[in-house]
Amino acid sequence: MQNKLLFHQSSVSLEIIGLPDYSNNENKDQISIISQWKLTIIDKPLIEGKIEHLEPIMDAFSTYSHLLVKNELPIYESKLIDIKADNLHVHNIVLKSSKKNVKPLFLKIGNSLLSDIINCFDQLNESSKVRLKKTVATNNITKKVRFGLNNKVKFFNILMPPFIAVCSLFIFSYTFIYFYNPVEDKKYELTNPK
Amino acid sequence: MRNIYQRTITVLTKVNRVSRQSIEKLDLLLLILETIDLNGIQSLYALSNRLNLNDVLPNKVTIWKLRNNNPLRKSYVNNNIKLDEFDALIKITVAMSRYLYPYIRNILNSKEVENNSVIWNDFNERFIELIKERFNVESMKVKKLLNQQENDEFIVKSLLTLSLCISNKGHNKLKNFLFDL
Repeated sequence: MQNKLLFHQSSVSLEIIGLPDYSNNENKDQISIISQWKLTIIDKPLIEGKIEHLEPIMDAFSTYSHLLVKNELPIYESKLIDIKADNLHVHNIVLKSSKKNVKPLFLKIGNSLLSDIINCFDQLNESSKVRLKKTVATNNITKKVRFGLNNKVKFFNILMPPFIAVCSLFIFSYTFIYFYNPVEDKKYELTNPK
Repeated sequence: MRNIYQRTITVLTKVNRVSRQSIEKLDLLLLILETIDLNGIQSLYALSNRLNLNDVLPNKVTIWKLRNNNPLRKSYVNNNIKLDEFDALIKITVAMSRYLYPYIRNILNSKEVENNSVIWNDFNERFIELIKERFNVESMKVKKLLNQQENDEFIVKSLLTLSLCISNKGHNKLKNFLFDL
């Protein structure tokens, strides 16, 4: 008996069908071995596939959305899926089947549907009941954040105290050079007696 | 003692500062949310209470002061917003967008369906009103935001950004966007 999980966001729903990995003592309601997935968008044809198709598609939407909020008209192209912005409000999606003699599926979606789809994928990514290998694109982004913000702060916090300590020691000891030294003054008197 | 040490390091290194661009982006996103929610300021404060951010954002005035770090504002004051304060503002932005998602979606959809949509035009007019009320209208950036023909792209991208950050990890997504990573 296979498990089914449904992730829903406004006009889009994502169904994940699979089995738990009993060899890892997983719960009955867990899904670790995904056998099939279905993406239902209202007024659009049903999109379905296997696990090897799901991850590249999730990557594609994640990367495309990332580009979209930054660039003017982004393009994402891969063997399985192409996403291209028609204009500011419409996005063209081409889904290429891995089977021969199956024509590619063309879809036009707006920003509202695009955000619904991405939110469905986000729900899947965050679900504790489904085990997914983390996508390359998301990993890259999180790494960047980690190194870009937190580590920068930590790096400075580690290096700055010893640097300030050395500098203050140098400045403090440098001031003593100008202090009066009576020993040297006596030596001078002995060598030059008047 | 540890706090004093951290504060000293912060003052000396200035790495705890947030860039002007990031503050500008975040304040504009909050303004978009306020355009949708007429009682936006009260909602933001209520959310900060619900998220237990009282230590960083104890009252509405603090939120207002932090938002005044946006250089485009009339009442711009450079208070050197700290990372934890900025983080708290991101958290309430994400929570607010999650709460307002159906409205955000509806506004985006209205522009896709028809070019001269009533919902879109109402939203745009209110956005412009808020900009005129709070921002320095002499600035070139603000002038662009005030132009109803030119600000479409900005509004669409801002609404999209908010709609993509409603997941549990939306906080990180929004951070990525704000720090331009």
